[in-house]
Amino acid sequence: MIYVIFCFHVHQPFRLKHYKLFEIGKNLNYFDDELNERIFKRASEKCYLPMNELLLNHIRKFEGAFKISFSITGTFVEQAYLYRPEVMDSFKTIAREGGAEFIGETYYHSLSCLFDEEEFLQQVRLHSEMIEREFGVRPRTFRNTELVYSNRVSDLIAEIPDFRIILLEGTEKILKENSPLYARRSHNYEHILLFRHYRLSDDIAFRFSDRSWAEYPLTAEKFAKWVADLSLSEREGRNLYLLLYMDYETFGEHQWKETGIFEFMKKLPELLLNYKHISFSWPSEVLETLNYEPEILSVPFPVSWADTERDLSAWLSNPLQWNAMKTYFEILKKVKEKRKMGLMETARRLSSSDLYYYMCIKYFADGDVHKYFSPYDRPEDAYIYFMHVLTDLEKRIEEG
Amino acid sequence: MKVLMLTWEFPPRITGGLSLACYGIVKALLKKGVEIDLILPVKEEVYFPLRKEEDADKLPVASPGGEVVHEEFKRKVFKWLEELPSAYKNRRLELREWIFKKKISIDKMLNDLLQILHDGMLFDDVREWTISAIEIARHLEFDIIHAHDWLAYPAGMIIKKFSEKPLVAHVHATEFDRAGGPGERRIHDIEYMGLQLADRIVCVSNHTAREIEKTYLVDPSKIRVVHNAFVIEKIKKKRRLFKEPTVVFVGRITLQKGPDYFIEIARKVLDKTKNVRFIMAGRGDMERLVMERVASWGLGTKFLFSGFLSREEVAKLFSSADIFVMPSVSEPFGIAALEAMSMGAIAIVAKNSGVAEITKYTYKVDFWDIDKMAEIILDLINHPEKMEELSRKSMEEASSLRWENQVEKLLSVYYELIPR
Repeated sequence: MIYVIFCFHVHQPFRLKHYKLFEIGKNLNYFDDELNERIFKRASEKCYLPMNELLLNHIRKFEGAFKISFSITGTFVEQAYLYRPEVMDSFKTIAREGGAEFIGETYYHSLSCLFDEEEFLQQVRLHSEMIEREFGVRPRTFRNTELVYSNRVSDLIAEIPDFRIILLEGTEKILKENSPLYARRSHNYEHILLFRHYRLSDDIAFRFSDRSWAEYPLTAEKFAKWVADLSLSEREGRNLYLLLYMDYETFGEHQWKETGIFEFMKKLPELLLNYKHISFSWPSEVLETLNYEPEILSVPFPVSWADTERDLSAWLSNPLQWNAMKTYFEILKKVKEKRKMGLMETARRLSSSDLYYYMCIKYFADGDVHKYFSPYDRPEDAYIYFMHVLTDLEKRIEEG
Repeated sequence: MKVLMLTWEFPPRITGGLSLACYGIVKALLKKGVEIDLILPVKEEVYFPLRKEEDADKLPVASPGGEVVHEEFKRKVFKWLEELPSAYKNRRLELREWIFKKKISIDKMLNDLLQILHDGMLFDDVREWTISAIEIARHLEFDIIHAHDWLAYPAGMIIKKFSEKPLVAHVHATEFDRAGGPGERRIHDIEYMGLQLADRIVCVSNHTAREIEKTYLVDPSKIRVVHNAFVIEKIKKKRRLFKEPTVVFVGRITLQKGPDYFIEIARKVLDKTKNVRFIMAGRGDMERLVMERVASWGLGTKFLFSGFLSREEVAKLFSSADIFVMPSVSEPFGIAALEAMSMGAIAIVAKNSGVAEITKYTYKVDFWDIDKMAEIILDLINHPEKMEELSRKSMEEASSLRWENQVEKLLSVYYELIPR
């Protein structure tokens, strides 16, 4: 059996405004509300609302056979309530219909696991509480920000017993020549690990509308065939788990409506379900469907799903990012020590990994991706304004 | 007396000290009753007939041969030609023959100059401006030509040739200063020609005067030194941004200005005390390098970059600063130091800068001596009374260095060329 696990990453950060040196000590409003609202509303029209509707129709039509999962961040939910509450309604409808699993992660989409483990667990708990409050269930599957994973992440997450499964990137860096389609067990036996199939995921997320790609145009029939053919290599009857994990904005934002991405997704489920050996699954169902004892996988160094390196370099490859993140977590500690609870929420929004991603200087193809997502012309500007904001926050803690 | 003045920079177009210096000179000359026709690198074929002191700010506009249009000059009205690039290529050339061929025709001269001015955005812009400036000047009457830096020399030389009026070449900086090395050969050519052909050369410091004697073999008897001053409208009260002592760098972040020395100084000081804040303002080709280096030292929020600052914001930054450091490898004058002092910041300047020659209350240090500069900063931080006293003296000193006095020297240069 091949279990197709669709997982959509649903996130919006609170982007900072161009916070000038002379605003330090005078302005507590760090965020570019106007920009954040504009981006959220645009994504709502182009992606969240139409895609939710499309998925909801599938869920109703296939009566339980079509399944998806969402990893929705806390900052996304806050912005949905602020800027477009209908988006929350539509996610809740999907939840009520029983069509989706909601995945756990850090509330702020942060890389706190690398700098402040206590904060990391607090943010994960905060997120689980939010998911339960909004959608009525506690998450059982965990995925770290940008699929950052190492043994340490599993050790930490083991402190929250709800979590039994962790999603990570199916990179050769950790799997070598082995298939990403088999589940593994974490080094400490605490979690089942499922792997993002980056080739098939990116065929949809990145290459779908790429005219220079040999497989262009990608039809639903072709894709379904590729999925069906995955089982050819399996001879021992072990179930395969195909994790198709991508930004939700793939649908309508990164791939415009005109590319035919919605038509593709309209047709795909039925075509997949036509194969007798394919069905859809939620990540947590692996606990029931697993028909073999998974191998142990140890990941001593962190991997992620980002860029070609699949490591932390998108957020921590240059000194600007390092100084910004290091300084940020030092200041966050001070907020806690001095019990400045009024500043906590603002401070935590600054942990969103996106803000450090904008400071990335790497060039070549990945640089283009970074630029596409950044509200700044230059990584230096992202750093300059972020550091001004941190300075203001620090001043408020020490002087206020 | 009427002066035809050519400069690439003038407020509101500001990229560096040249603009501020020209503004100060023009304003003070107008006050002395000198009339000025100012030619700036705007795309429109116009010039600025300045007759009264306030014209330096208003910039009345006229088209050559046509009526005088007294319309308020606004940034939006004119399209400026491109700005100076930050680095030049590395070449050199000899041109003595050209200069000393007395009978060279205007046609040949113009042709040769325009040959040099090609390829590259800035050269093309200077070429365009040179042609338009010559065209405008043809319609004007004046007693003397005053050209600021190499960008204005080509036009200055041709105008001198056809009008037979004396040319004053004003050296604010040479290509050797800007490039921090040999620099661009074509600019050397123009500087060499311009300085050789000029009747008088005004240098902003003794140091620069000695440099051009050496590098461009200029006859020392033609050289006069007129140091810059600073235009202060009114002394403002200090407005702090941080309660701890604040140390600033303001300037292009490029080799010439020594930004790499500044960050090393900051690191040394921060090693000893955390009661200090460093701010680096400006942009330039070394910005990323410098920023990455500082960040790699993990200095947190103790070392900030300001990003781009407007004129008003620069003044605001000086007003919030206690110490201004100018560790320039090469600094013919360094007008920013006077501006900083006028806002009550204590200036630590490179020994070889022009401003070091005329100020008493600045610390003068070799640009490479980071230990010494760190020591001075620590000493000031540890002695707030001393800092306060020096701040007051700096302010007084800056306001005593007035363009009114400096422009007297300039006038006497003019009168050497056109006897009263």
